[in-house]
Amino acid sequence: MQKDINILVVDDEPVVINSCERVLREEGYNVHSAMRGKDAIHLMEENIYNLLLTDLKMPEMDGISLIEWTRKSKPSTGIVVITGYPSQQSIQDVLGLGCIDYVPKPFTPVMLTDVTYRALELAKKTPPLEDFPVGDFTPEMALELNSIINNYKNMPGNLIPVLQKAQEIVGYLPPEVQKQISSKLKVPVAEIHSVVSFYSFFTMKQRGKHLIRVCEGTACYVKRVSAVLDKLISELDVKVGEMTTDRKFSLESVRCLGACGLAPVMMIDQSTHGAMTPMKVVEVLDTYKQP
Amino acid sequence: MQQYRAHLMLCGGTGCIASESLKVKEALSAEIKKRGLENEVNVVFTGCNGFCAEGPIMTVYPEGIFYERLTEKDIPFLVEEHLLKGRPVERLMYKEPEKRHAVPAMKDIPFFNLQVLRVLRNKGLIDPEKIEEYIARDGYMGAAKAFTEMTPAEIVTVVKDSGLRGRGGAGFPTGLKWELAGRVSSDTKYMLCNGDEGDPGAFMDRSVMEADPHSVIEGMIIGARAIGANKGVIYVRAEYPLAVQRLNLAIEQAHEAGLLGEDILGTGFNFDLSIYLGAGAFVCGEETALMRSIEGKRGMPIPRPPFPAQKGLWGKPSVLNNVETLAQIAPIILHGSDWYRSLGTEKSSGTKVFALTGAISNVGLVEVPMGIPLRTIINDIGGGVKGARKKGGRTFKAVQMGGPSGGCIPESLLDTPVTYEDIVQTGAIIGSGGMVVMDDSNCMVSMARFFLEFTADESCGKCPPCRIGTKVMLDMLNDITEGNGKESDIETLQDLCGDIISTSLCGLGQTAPNPVLTTIKYFREEYESHIKDKWCKAGVCRSLCTFIVDEKVCTGCGACQRACTQGAVTGEKKKPHEINQELCIQCRACYDACKFGSINIGPAAMREGLLKDTPAVSV
Repeated sequence: MQKDINILVVDDEPVVINSCERVLREEGYNVHSAMRGKDAIHLMEENIYNLLLTDLKMPEMDGISLIEWTRKSKPSTGIVVITGYPSQQSIQDVLGLGCIDYVPKPFTPVMLTDVTYRALELAKKTPPLEDFPVGDFTPEMALELNSIINNYKNMPGNLIPVLQKAQEIVGYLPPEVQKQISSKLKVPVAEIHSVVSFYSFFTMKQRGKHLIRVCEGTACYVKRVSAVLDKLISELDVKVGEMTTDRKFSLESVRCLGACGLAPVMMIDQSTHGAMTPMKVVEVLDTYKQP
Repeated sequence: MQQYRAHLMLCGGTGCIASESLKVKEALSAEIKKRGLENEVNVVFTGCNGFCAEGPIMTVYPEGIFYERLTEKDIPFLVEEHLLKGRPVERLMYKEPEKRHAVPAMKDIPFFNLQVLRVLRNKGLIDPEKIEEYIARDGYMGAAKAFTEMTPAEIVTVVKDSGLRGRGGAGFPTGLKWELAGRVSSDTKYMLCNGDEGDPGAFMDRSVMEADPHSVIEGMIIGARAIGANKGVIYVRAEYPLAVQRLNLAIEQAHEAGLLGEDILGTGFNFDLSIYLGAGAFVCGEETALMRSIEGKRGMPIPRPPFPAQKGLWGKPSVLNNVETLAQIAPIILHGSDWYRSLGTEKSSGTKVFALTGAISNVGLVEVPMGIPLRTIINDIGGGVKGARKKGGRTFKAVQMGGPSGGCIPESLLDTPVTYEDIVQTGAIIGSGGMVVMDDSNCMVSMARFFLEFTADESCGKCPPCRIGTKVMLDMLNDITEGNGKESDIETLQDLCGDIISTSLCGLGQTAPNPVLTTIKYFREEYESHIKDKWCKAGVCRSLCTFIVDEKVCTGCGACQRACTQGAVTGEKKKPHEINQELCIQCRACYDACKFGSINIGPAAMREGLLKDTPAVSV
C-alpha cells in the first residue's frame, strides 16, 4: 500500500543499511541505499525521494554537506538524521538545517518506522521551497553582513544596531550569525547571545514568508483578542512563536502595537489590521494566501 | 504662495492608515484632478487626529466639517457634493452614540470640544513632513527665544516654575532634573528622549512622534541648551516605523534650517541629534536601563546614586525626558510658566494626554487639563461605556490607569480628579497615560493575571523578588482562574505584593503588584467567588462558568447559533435555543452575540449538574 513512497538510506556502515532496508521494506516502502554522499547525490538526481535517512559522520562527503545539498537542490525531500552521537548541540544544529527528526543509533525497528511515518507525514505537508525566501544563512548574506559590520565597526554601542540589520538580512539570528558578528566585532558570543535573548525584537527561530504579530496589549485584551488568536492558531495550524509547515506564516504575539484605537489589532509584515474578529481573520489571511 | 479655497486635512496616523486612508488619499487626488480643482482644493496628509476608532478621518476647512469612516467609494460623491455644490454630506459625518443626528462641525463634537490641546496643538492641522507648516504655527519660536533671549539658568527656572512633571510615568519635576544635570560640569553631556513606549494600552508618544515630530526636537534643543548638552539621542521602538521615518525626516529638515548641528541659530551652540531603535524590552522605560540599552547591552537597571544627571550614558551626565514632556517645553518657554500653570492644580499643572481605549464609545487620544474628574473623561469625552444605552447593555466596571504598574479604579471613585497625587491615593498611577475602560463583561481576576503575566515576562531578572515573586504570584492567579484557588490565596498574594514592592530595585518591580492590590481592594468579591464558588461571573475564566439560555428571554433569533464554532447551540427559529454542555467550550461567543441578554452565566458546578442530567441550579 505504500508502493509509491521512495526512501533513500545513506550510511557508511553496511549493517545499518541492511537493517533499514529490511525494516522499511517490510512496511511497504521502496528503499534505495548508498554508502557515500556522492553516490547519494547521484541517486537523488536520477530519482525522486520522499525521504532521505542519512548518517552524519561519513568519509569524503559528510552528512551535513549532503543535507545542505538536499535542502537546496531537492527541497521537497524530507530529511531524517541517523546519528550515533545525539548530543543536544548536534541535534539542534541539524534541526536548524531543516531536518525533520533524528533516529539515534542503535535503534529498534519500531523507533525507525515511527520516525519514518511521522517524517513522511510532515514532508507531505511541506511543499517545495523554491518560491519562499528561506532564512538560511547564505554566503551572500554573510558578505552583506560583513559590510554592515564594517560600517558600524568603530561606533560605540553598535551591537544592537548590527543585530537589527543582521535580522533584517537573514530573517533571524541563528548561532552562525551571532558567531560571525562576534568574531568581527570582537565581542564574546556569550555577550551577543545575552543581548539577543534579552530583547523581544530578536529571534533565533526561522520565520515564514509573512510575519503575523498579534497584539496582546491591554486594550486588545479587553476587546478579546484571545478569540482572534485562537482563530489564527486553528486556521494556520500553528502554535504561537512558530512557523507554519508551508513556511508561509510565522505567528507571534506582541505586547502592544500602539494602535489601541483599532483594538483588537494584528500586524502582518508592515501592515496593520484593526478591529479584528475571528471572521475577519479568514478574510485577511486569504489575501495573503493567494500567490 | 498658492492660495486654496478649501483644505482637506486627511489623517495619516497609524490608525487611519490601517483603516485604508492611503486609498482615500489616492481617490481624493484623482477625483480633484478629474474635476479640475487642483488649484482650489488642497489635500494635506496630517498626523494622528486622535479619534482613531472612527478612521479614516478628514476635516474640511474653512468650515471645519468633520467626516469619518471614509472609504474610496465615498470620495467622488463627497467631492461633488461638498466641494462643487457646497453641500456637506451628512451621511459621512459623526453621529453621537445611539442617537441618529449628525454633528457636522468638529468643534461641536464632545470628544473634541472638552479637550485642551497643548501637546497636541498641531494635531490634524499640519503636514508632519513639512517643517514650514510647523514653523507657521509658532514652531521653533520657543527655541529661538531660549537661544537668543535667555540664559540656561533662566530656561531651567521657567521650566521649574511651570511645575511640569515627567509625563513618562514617575512624574519627576522636569525643571529639577535639568537643574541637577546643568550643575555638573563635563566635556560631554547627553540630552535623551524616551520614545520607547512600552505600556500596553498606550499610544500617546507614538501619535506625537508621528503627528508633530518637530515639537519633540524643539523640546530637546531647548533642554540641551539648558543643561549644556551637545549630543542627543531619541530612543524609539523599532515597532513604530512611521514615527521613525518622520523623526528622521524632521531631523534632516531641522539640520538644513540651522536648528540642529553646529552653531544653532548663530549662537555658537552645537547639538547633534540621532535616533536609536529600541529592540523591545519594557524595562527600558527605566532610565538607567534605557541608557544601558543605548550602550548596546542588556537593558538592566542599575542602582542609583549615581543618578544619570551625574553619571548616565557612557558615564556622562545625561537627562532623559519622555516624548510628551518634551513636546510641552516650547510653549512653556514661549508663553511663560504662569500660562502653563493656568491649567491644572498646584502640584499637577498643565495638561496630560491620555489614550482612552477599551470598552468605551469614543476610543482615541485625548488631552485634558490636569485635575478634571475621571468621570468627565470617561462619560463626556469618551461617551461612556460602549453599548451601555442598549437594553440589557453593558455597564461600567473599572478603568485601568498606568498599565502594568497601575491599577483598576472602580465606579465609586470616578469623581477622583486626575492629578498625580489623587490618582496615587486610589492605588493606581497616572503612568504614561493609558486609560483602559472595562465593562461588566471583564473579569478582574483575569485582568490582574494578564498584567502579572506581562511583568513576569518583562522582568529583567536582576532582582529575585521581582523575577521569582511575580512568577509565584502569576502561578497563584493562574490557579485561581483555573478553579484551583485556595482560601488563603488572597492573603498570600497581599503578603507577596508587599515584599516585592519593598525589595525590588527599579520601578518595574516596585509597581508590578499594583494591578493585583487594586483588584483585591476593590473587587475582592470576584476573587472570592472564583475561589469559593468556582464561578467567574463575567464568563471569562473558562473552567469557572456554564453558559445557559434563559428560555423566557430567548427570541430564537439564531445569532448565538451562528456565532458558536462548536455547533453546541441548537434550536428552531423563533423558539428558545439550547446549549449542549458536552460540546460547549465556554468561549463566550454566544453570550457576546446575543442582543437580548438571554444567555446566563452560571458557576462551573452547574455544568457538571447539567451533564449528569440532574436538575440545574438556577442563576
